[in-house]
This record gives sequence, structure tokens and C-alpha cells, in this order.
Amino acid sequence: MSARTDTRPLFIPVVLGTVRQGRMSEHVARFVHAELAKRPGVETELVDIRELKLSNTDEGGGARDVRFTETVARADALVLVVPEYNHGYPGLLKHALDTNLKEYIHKAVGVCGVSAGPFGGTRVIENLLPVLRELGLVTVFWDGNFSSVQKAFDAEGNLTDAAYVRRLDKFFRELVWMAKVLRHGREHVALEGG
Amino acid sequence: MTETSKMVCPDCGVETNRHAEKVEYTDAGADAEGFDPALGGVLEEFHACPDCGRTHARRAE
Ligand SMILES: Cc1cc2nc3c(=O)[nH]c(=O)nc-3n(C[C@H](O)[C@H](O)[C@H](O)COP(=O)(O)O)c2cc1C
Ligand SMILES: [Zn+2]
Repeated sequence: MSARTDTRPLFIPVVLGTVRQGRMSEHVARFVHAELAKRPGVETELVDIRELKLSNTDEGGGARDVRFTETVARADALVLVVPEYNHGYPGLLKHALDTNLKEYIHKAVGVCGVSAGPFGGTRVIENLLPVLRELGLVTVFWDGNFSSVQKAFDAEGNLTDAAYVRRLDKFFRELVWMAKVLRHGREHVALEGG
Repeated sequence: MTETSKMVCPDCGVETNRHAEKVEYTDAGADAEGFDPALGGVLEEFHACPDCGRTHARRAE
């Protein structure tokens, strides 16, 4: 199938990357998931790492949750919603990401950083990029940046600043482009030498 | 140039596209025979099926 005639929807799960009680990132993940679900040609699903059945007495493939692995295997791209904890990413998100490998190769990934402070999780995004690269994912150059997240949503989780809708649209457009290109590449562009 | 044998998607019977090679570190202990000391792990190749889109992996030849 050529890229031009490929009418299959893209499957882009949104991963909520923290298990913390009272996490504000859940509002972000629900909002991002709802916006992504509105896009034609995209199917999505919200993956809450709190719901995953991961072993905590093993690492990598040995700790995997079969359903999560199957979701990543079906995915064309991922959106990671990641709060900034001491300028880094939650350890349990890393634990979850490490359980897969072949399921990520040459797939797109975009990151939405979430922070209480003013920088919209830029530090956690920068810290996560080398990990995503090693997993075989291809990062996009747009991010979601949710600064002062406690002010960006009301108590019911409704967005209070409409500017996020337009910013997310830019982020999704780039992610969808990358997901399409990489799907075509995985299926039709051979590595040199066989 | 290295020529590798073709892989066929077990679900569709269609020839797959070999689009990547990557070192897998996690299997280094488990797959002593496949361990490549120059790369520090097991070299795997990744194929995608042009029909169903699924990825298949195997140890690189
Ligand atoms: C262990 C821990 C470390 C944190 N470190 C930072 C930080 O480095 N920078 C920052 O802006 N906010 C930091 N925060 C605040 C979170 O960014 C804030 O809770 C925000 O709501 C996103 O995380 P949440 O989804 O857990 O609520 C930290 C929170 C925790 C629990
Ligand atoms: Zn197939």
C-alpha cells in the first residue's frame, strides 16, 4: 500500500505517566486524550500506568503487562504525559517503558510535560529524550507544556486556558505527520543490505 | 552489503520489510550464543508486515 492510498487510521495511545495520589497530570492526560480523539483518522486510548500489572521484582521484558505490550505493538505513535519530579521523570514510568522494546522501533513519540512550576515540564522532557531515543522511538520537535498546572484546570478538571487547544493542535499535526511517515517507512523502506 | 534471508509474516504470509537493526541489551545474559562482544549485546533485526503492520523481531543474521 502506498502512503498516498493508506486510509488505515493511526492508533496513538496517550500514556498517563504517574501513579501519584491526587496527580494533576490526570487532568492533562484526559484533556490530551479527548482532543486527540476528535481528530479524523486517529484512534486513541488512555493508558494509565497505575492500572498496569507490572512486576516489581523484575525489570525489562520480565516485568511486562501483556495488554500494555499489545497496545504498544498496535500503536503508530505514543503521547506521554509526564510530570516533572525533581527535574526528572517518575521512576514508575521508566519501569513501564522499559518492559517493551521491539514494539517501539521506528514509531513516533510526543511528550506533554506537566509541572507546578513555570517551565511546563521542559526539564523533564529534555531528560526523557535520550531514553526515548534508546527505546527506538522517534521524537517530534513539538511538545505539550503544561506550566503551573494547578491553575490550568479547575477542580473538576476543566481547562481554564483555551490557548492549550491551539498549542496541542500544532503538536498533534507534527506527531501525525511523523507517525504516517514512519509507518510507511517501517512497512516499505528497507534497511540497506537486505 | 549483507544479504539476509527473507522473513514472512506469520499472520499474513506476506514478505516483511526489514527496517531496523538494534542492539538488545536486556537479552545479553539470556542469549549467550547471540551476544556480540563488539556491540555489547544481541543484535536484533526488526521487520514490519506491509499488510497488517505488525513488527516482528529476530536475531540478526
Ligand atoms: C516527588 C516530586 C517532585 C517534584 N519536583 C518538581 C520539579 O522539579 N519541578 C516542578 O515544577 N514541579 C515539581 N513537582 C510538582 C509537580 O510537577 C506537580 O505535582 C504537578 O502537579 C505535576 O505532577 P502530578 O501529576 O503528580 O500532580 C514535584 C512533585 C513531586 C511529587
Ligand atoms: Zn502481517
